[in-house]
Amino acid sequence: MSSTLSRTALMVAMPLLCLLLSGCSQNSSDNPEADARPKVAYITNGIASFWTFAEKGAKDAAQEFNADVNIQMPANGVEDQKRICQDLLAQGIDGIAISPIDPDNQGDLLTEIGQRTNMITHDSDAPGSERLCYIGMDNYTAGRMCGELVKEAMPEGGSVMIFVGRLGQANSRLRRQGVIDELLDREPDENRYDEPSAGVIKGEKYTILDTRTDGFDFGKAKAQAQDAVAKYDDLGCMVGLFAYNPPLMLDAVREAGKVGKIKIVAFDEHDRSLQAINDKEIYGTVVQNPYKYGYESVRVLAGLARGDSSVIPENKILYIPARQIRNDNVAAFQAELQRLLSTEESEGTTNVVSEPAGDESP
Amino acid sequence: MKKNFGILGILLVVFIATAIGNPNFLTAYNMFNLLERASLYGIIGIGVAFVIITGGIDLSIGSLIGLVATLLPFIVVQQSFPLAVGLFAIFALSLCVGLTHGVLITRLKLQPFVVTLCGLMIYRGIARWIVSDKTMGYGNETFSGLKVMVGNLSQLPGMSGFSWAKHIPVAFLILLVLGVIASVFLNKTIYGRYLLALGRNEQAARFSGINTSVMIIIAYVICSVISGFGGLLFALDYGSIQPDSFGNFYELYAIAAAVLGGCSLRGGEGSIFGIILGAALMRLLMNSISMLGIDDQLEPAVIGIVILIGVMVDELVKRFAARRRAVKQAKVTTALPEVDA
Amino acid sequence: MNLLDNSPLLIVESVTKRFPGVTALNNVCLSLAKGEVLALIGENGAGKSTLMKILAGVQMPDEGSIRVNGCPVRLDSVQTAQANGIALIHQELNLSGNLSIGDNIFLGREPLRSGLIDKKKIHIEAQSFLTLVGLDVSADVLVDSLSIGQQQLVEIARALSVDAKILIMDEPTSSLSQHETERLMEVVKDLRGRGVSVIYISHRLGEVQELADRVTVFRDGKNAGDLVRDEMNHDRMVQLMVGRDISQFYVRSPHDAGDVVLEVKDLQTAANPGCYLNFSVRTREIVGVAGLVGAGRTELFEVLFGVQPALSGRVMVDGREVSLRSPRDAIDAGIALVPEDRKQQGIILEMTVRMNIGLAGLRQHKKKAGFLNATQEADDTSAMIERLKIKTPDAGQVVQYLSGGNQQKVVLGKWLSIAPRILLLDEPTRGIDVGAKQEIYGLMDELAKKGVSILFVSSEMEEILGMSDRTLVMHEGQITGQLVRDELSEERVMQLATGNVAMGTH
Repeated sequence: MSSTLSRTALMVAMPLLCLLLSGCSQNSSDNPEADARPKVAYITNGIASFWTFAEKGAKDAAQEFNADVNIQMPANGVEDQKRICQDLLAQGIDGIAISPIDPDNQGDLLTEIGQRTNMITHDSDAPGSERLCYIGMDNYTAGRMCGELVKEAMPEGGSVMIFVGRLGQANSRLRRQGVIDELLDREPDENRYDEPSAGVIKGEKYTILDTRTDGFDFGKAKAQAQDAVAKYDDLGCMVGLFAYNPPLMLDAVREAGKVGKIKIVAFDEHDRSLQAINDKEIYGTVVQNPYKYGYESVRVLAGLARGDSSVIPENKILYIPARQIRNDNVAAFQAELQRLLSTEESEGTTNVVSEPAGDESP
Repeated sequence: MKKNFGILGILLVVFIATAIGNPNFLTAYNMFNLLERASLYGIIGIGVAFVIITGGIDLSIGSLIGLVATLLPFIVVQQSFPLAVGLFAIFALSLCVGLTHGVLITRLKLQPFVVTLCGLMIYRGIARWIVSDKTMGYGNETFSGLKVMVGNLSQLPGMSGFSWAKHIPVAFLILLVLGVIASVFLNKTIYGRYLLALGRNEQAARFSGINTSVMIIIAYVICSVISGFGGLLFALDYGSIQPDSFGNFYELYAIAAAVLGGCSLRGGEGSIFGIILGAALMRLLMNSISMLGIDDQLEPAVIGIVILIGVMVDELVKRFAARRRAVKQAKVTTALPEVDA
Repeated sequence: MNLLDNSPLLIVESVTKRFPGVTALNNVCLSLAKGEVLALIGENGAGKSTLMKILAGVQMPDEGSIRVNGCPVRLDSVQTAQANGIALIHQELNLSGNLSIGDNIFLGREPLRSGLIDKKKIHIEAQSFLTLVGLDVSADVLVDSLSIGQQQLVEIARALSVDAKILIMDEPTSSLSQHETERLMEVVKDLRGRGVSVIYISHRLGEVQELADRVTVFRDGKNAGDLVRDEMNHDRMVQLMVGRDISQFYVRSPHDAGDVVLEVKDLQTAANPGCYLNFSVRTREIVGVAGLVGAGRTELFEVLFGVQPALSGRVMVDGREVSLRSPRDAIDAGIALVPEDRKQQGIILEMTVRMNIGLAGLRQHKKKAGFLNATQEADDTSAMIERLKIKTPDAGQVVQYLSGGNQQKVVLGKWLSIAPRILLLDEPTRGIDVGAKQEIYGLMDELAKKGVSILFVSSEMEEILGMSDRTLVMHEGQITGQLVRDELSEERVMQLATGNVAMGTH
């Protein structure tokens, strides 16, 4: 009977021991230099391929500016983001760059971070918070650029559907508003907001039928695209404002056999979106420069940690401009991305290649 | 309490291991956060425990939390009703939800799994539809009074003088009060005994004169009302509510805490103290994983493994105890006839 | 008996089996000849089931040897036991109700044809085994639609289909009516005629007397004695089992029945909507309810206890009509039920003796705001443990570790703690050893003397004859007769129970 107990004890102890050891090794690997290296964190608003570029940028900057960066992608919304930030703060961190999921209502969390460390926002701004700097795109302008692409794709006018992950974030609201304002040829006004529940928005040439949100649920995102294709016979153009939306929209259009009939305008640089632009299935996309978000965030935080406040511009906003990608410049853009990810990619490829090579050599 | 030794042991081991692995783990700041999270999840765990004790299950907790959290700002901020009306509405709603579950399960004899699974979908859908998926916030001034519930003890009236008070979350106090009430209800009142009895064997309980249907309905009402209250606390804590995702999986966290804490899904068994430990262990693990720098992606797997280990240990300990009892019993039965003769 | 030859088919020699803290079998011996029916009797815990498990290959003996056909065998699994021609028919039947009779008989060794189950072969072969056990039902019928007695026969057919030479039957008749019992005994006699040997375990000494060629009695894990056919009689068997003389097994003192307490008028139950029941029970009276299984006795009790609603009719307690919509209503009217299915309806196995005994009284004894009255519960429990002689280490013992008799006493204790006026007992001594049986009879007598009205259902003729002041006999939902003590006889009861068809029991 005592053997049962000891076996039980062993079963409990083993994984816990592993936990403990991994924790210790993490700590013991810290070299003496480590204290001089600022520890900063880069927190996204979710998990998406978009963020891998940012991750790359953040890592590159960490190397360049001699800092340690902890990159965290909350899988479960606001709650996860809060928990991650608090845990980081508890561990002691020299700066946090965050893309707040809901800046308006996360005030408490942002204050908590701001009080305990240097905080900057990236990708999505929280102007009311104590953030030291915002690094990102002017989402409203980018939205208008996206609207321009819709106009080019459908010069004679028509009906448009907008798909987006969430509308809680300022960035997605602004993007959407930019698209709408451009299509309706309104004067630029970042404070304007058309409620998505208000229904159809009719302009002279263009009609915005609806805006659908999916809460980062890809299955749902696709289902919504399919439903839209099925529901509106006269649908002219679909606009996907989050990176994962356009490929799913394209799937829906392909399945319905309406490629070319329903135009697609994308946002961000999803692999499949770019490929589809190459193949002329998607008209074009507006790309941000997530690599730069990550890179600049770490650069600024590292500088701040070393007491250098000159890294922050006077207006506390570091705009990284967006670009329009169409069929004519997509190849060049893809090459550029390839180059950005090259170090990581080459590591991966050498590994894969070297193994079979080794098998062949004898 | 004896049967919670296993989980208490795991809790201590993880706690000590993390404390050794990262000295920052023990900072007052981290302890406060940990205590607060454990308390919030512990509260909804207590709710679901009542249902699990009857041998039922409530899968709708997460969606109900989402609905309640979405509704309150909708009623109070968007529709400009007084806060009291909003609070009354969400508690009345939670109560009705529990009542409906209980009645469908006892009168129509539907399976709890099915009824609450449908609830899971229905409440989520309603929450999203009411506010058309718009993010709801608790940033509004109206809620600042309520926010005391997710603050620290020093914010309570008359407590500002004590320096230790700001290191204890109010949610922890709420958990303690609720835990004591639940524990007393379960162990010291006849209604608690009714629940335990019917959870083991509903027929025998009914044959002993217990109105089992009413007791089951009460259990579901308790569960939903506590969930609703928990939803309010979560909402106040996170401040931002995405109607499509807020509260997702909370039912599973609550059920896992209850199971870790010694509730049997077959019913009739459960200790409130164990459930609180279960909830605390899960939050501690999440915290430990980030404190020890373990890959974030592994988090769900680690939690799953630890729950599995906890349940396995529990089962082995139970068998060990049963074997010992069988031996003891054998001695008694052999001894007794001799006494008789 | 004419087939007996000199060398026994099965010999069990000096088998000892120890469990932690207890010696279940101590040097027991047993022999069985070809074509012999050996009855194995003894109180619960005497070691009968342990020996059966050893013979069936479920457990291994610590010492001793077993020989089949003179060769020593090592029965280390159910398969080896079966290979040696030994098959065990459990008290709780092991049939899958959702499968057909044929599928059950061939479960696990289905004949195949081109990889698929050969339904036709199953049907034909199963039917032949059914004929062998005298069950006149198609092999395609679902087991669920059979009566318990018929299911028992299916079990026997299954055992025969694996070519069993030694059939061990563990209390086969405990859930059968008189009629089904007789049928089963015919089958056993027939098997004996075919050279099959049977070890027959039973608490029903009447059956044993009728069926067995020889009786082996166990007591406290040891051989207590063997009786050959001529020596078998009720008192002798009981004496060997309990180890002392029993002058009077059924405890009965004359009751002076008083006023009518329970009166049932034109009661129509959902189970037998065509029947209207009328009867009454007086104070200080024990009324037995006899009849075959399915005669509507349990259904009548369920209506009286508020488990099932009555379709129509009135139930009056002390002349006042009571509405029985739930057991709670019945309890409030002073009615208590000791149900037939003890483990499902009577006790909560995983709870302690104290909690079980306290369960019925919780409501009456509660303190303010619904708080438990723990002292009252503890007092009631220790009083009941003493009064009913419940053998338990302490009041905190979990009930599932008690013997059947003590579990039944816990059920009785639960009700006695709230002092019911009318006690309904449904098969009160089923699966209970002789000693506990006698104690329960004594308790019934004592309660009746104290003024409780007792109504009890029993399928054991001896019990009905021995205990009741008055007997109601039911047949197909109808009360076909009432017999006062002077008119009571086995023949009379059987006539009424089978619907006035004149027939004897032998």
